[in-house]
Amino acid sequence: MKKILLLLLAFSTIVSASLRVETTYTTLGAITEEIGGDLVHVHVLGSSKYDPHFIVPKPSLLAKLRRADLLIMNGGGLELGWLPPLIRGANNAKIQNGAKGFLDISHFIPMIDVPTSVSRGFGDVHAQGNPHYSTDPHMVPLIAKAIAQKLEAIDSNNSRLYAKNLDIFLSKWKNYLKKFDIKMDECKDKKVVQYHELFNYFLKRYNYKSYGNIEPLPGIAPSSKHTIALINTINKNHIKNILQDVYHERKTSKFIASKTGAKVLLIPHDMGATGSKTLEEFYNTIAKNICK
Amino acid sequence: MKKRIILSLLVTSFLFADAEMDAIKEALQVQKEATLKLEAKLNTLEQKNTNQSASFSQNAYLPDMALILNMSTLSRNISNSDYTTSAIPGFIDSGEMNFPFNKDRGFNLNYAEFAMHSVVDPYFEAFANFHLHPEAFEIGEAYVQTTSLAYSLRIKAGKFKSSFGRMNQKHQHSWNFDSQALIYKALFGPDSISDAGVQLQWIAPIDTYLMFGTEAMQGTNGRSFGDSSSNNLYIGYVKSSVDIGDDLSILGGISYAHGKNTTSNATDIYGVDLTFREQLGSYSALIWQSEYLYRDMTLSDTKDKQAGFYSELIYQYNNNYSFGTRYDRITKNETDLSMYSGVDTDNLDRYTVKIDYKPFPMSRLRLSYTYDRSRIIVDERKNVSEVMLSLNIAAGAHGAHDY
Repeated sequence: MKKILLLLLAFSTIVSASLRVETTYTTLGAITEEIGGDLVHVHVLGSSKYDPHFIVPKPSLLAKLRRADLLIMNGGGLELGWLPPLIRGANNAKIQNGAKGFLDISHFIPMIDVPTSVSRGFGDVHAQGNPHYSTDPHMVPLIAKAIAQKLEAIDSNNSRLYAKNLDIFLSKWKNYLKKFDIKMDECKDKKVVQYHELFNYFLKRYNYKSYGNIEPLPGIAPSSKHTIALINTINKNHIKNILQDVYHERKTSKFIASKTGAKVLLIPHDMGATGSKTLEEFYNTIAKNICK
Repeated sequence: MKKRIILSLLVTSFLFADAEMDAIKEALQVQKEATLKLEAKLNTLEQKNTNQSASFSQNAYLPDMALILNMSTLSRNISNSDYTTSAIPGFIDSGEMNFPFNKDRGFNLNYAEFAMHSVVDPYFEAFANFHLHPEAFEIGEAYVQTTSLAYSLRIKAGKFKSSFGRMNQKHQHSWNFDSQALIYKALFGPDSISDAGVQLQWIAPIDTYLMFGTEAMQGTNGRSFGDSSSNNLYIGYVKSSVDIGDDLSILGGISYAHGKNTTSNATDIYGVDLTFREQLGSYSALIWQSEYLYRDMTLSDTKDKQAGFYSELIYQYNNNYSFGTRYDRITKNETDLSMYSGVDTDNLDRYTVKIDYKPFPMSRLRLSYTYDRSRIIVDERKNVSEVMLSLNIAAGAHGAHDY
């Protein structure tokens, strides 16, 4: 009994000694673990099973945020529908917008698809641009640098360790990207349609062309009129690939596939969405499935 | 000869020096001109790049603002004039009921609400919503809330909806049904516990959500409290939540309110609430929410004991459709019912079903049917049947709702 108590005590001190970091999504969490190593205790708020726009603001997440030393969010409006009430409810001064323990990664990313005008009449568009940048593996170094810089700032005693971890990670990732880009070069069919504009960063990086989306407007469910128009586009342009994410219904893409002969490719939007356990596995799955 | 050579040397050196000086002067002149040209260029560029924004513009600091509109069309088996005299025996006497929402057969514009939220400074956030009813202007809520107190404490001050129970703090447009739960209507009226006061909340620093809150309010709600000779209402609650796996979350709470009623005697209200939410996908969920309220109210000559509950089941099918059913019941009604002699006042309950259609998260059409068996209308127990189609929109910058 004494032993267990001692063990528990030792364990709790280890946990409390490390920095508590909450990230909104899984890819951000994995990169934080690479940079933070044993110095941080990372928890992810939003499961990659679900649409990242619609994470349920469960009260249990309040308990996590209440004790967080650092909140790392994706930004670009992706968390607008669920995170603000949680930050408000957690009563944690450290992670308020503008406080030291608040990090919006989108501020470090060259955002694409920034609309020149916004209206809810265009559907659920993000005024800051397309927020789904983490599908592009070339964004990972930018994310890692932003996280390292933040960790060094709030835990300056260990800043050397974070800098070292960053160096190791960046060189590892450089090698990975070299091989990854070679693999992607072998992919010749560059025509796709997608459900939601989830993969634009990846598609732009590897010179793909997206001819349209299954949803008529961002956040609006498919309509028959729009689906028929998309089928015509696919037939006219001889498109073979329909990019499907894990959380939208698959009936529409299967229907489109049956009418056009195109293939439905299941592409993860975030680490773990199709079971990947590491960053490399996540991007490899995107590459593998898009090049089928 | 020697002299001559030296002299000529000297002269040539002077001459050379002269030539060199000329060359330098010339080069300097060229450089000066180039510099002037560059300066001129820089000036024009600088003029172009000058920030021409208005010197005192504060547009970037505008609060988030939203317009919420709620309207309905309904049919009912009771005439409008009879309906306004209806009573809930033991709780609301004839003529004392308020009907801010969906009062008339035919068309109703319930309200236009103007909601605002803004960060005030690094320490405060402010919220306000102004209810504009067709015949009244009302400050629904207007309060400030701290954002950065130590020990995870949070203080709210102003006029606000109490966090007592589960339904109390929600606005009408975010209720799962358009009508208020029967026990809330009976005990508090349409605004629930909403009052000027202060609130203190604290979340325990553990892995499980455990929140404690306490409030001191003026207690102007005349249904249960209403002695506003000084602030007389004190509220406390504990809420906790656990997750079972990724998909099932359970939220429960117990609440207590102690105040003084219009007879200056004590009113105590106890509440228990429990919500289960099973996530079936990103856009699909099954939600079961129930609440039980018990009131102990001492009046001049009686000691009333009254209680009731509601239980609602919501099936969110996808991001467009949602179905729901609710059962309301008064379970205890120990009070002076002598004015209803000869009228059946037992088994007060209500059934509601609804279908929601949301073309987009900002708009909602709701078709509902209510069978209300809690009313006495013109001295008779009369069951109210109601079919209603309501429309709610939230335009502009409307913040996300809580769990």
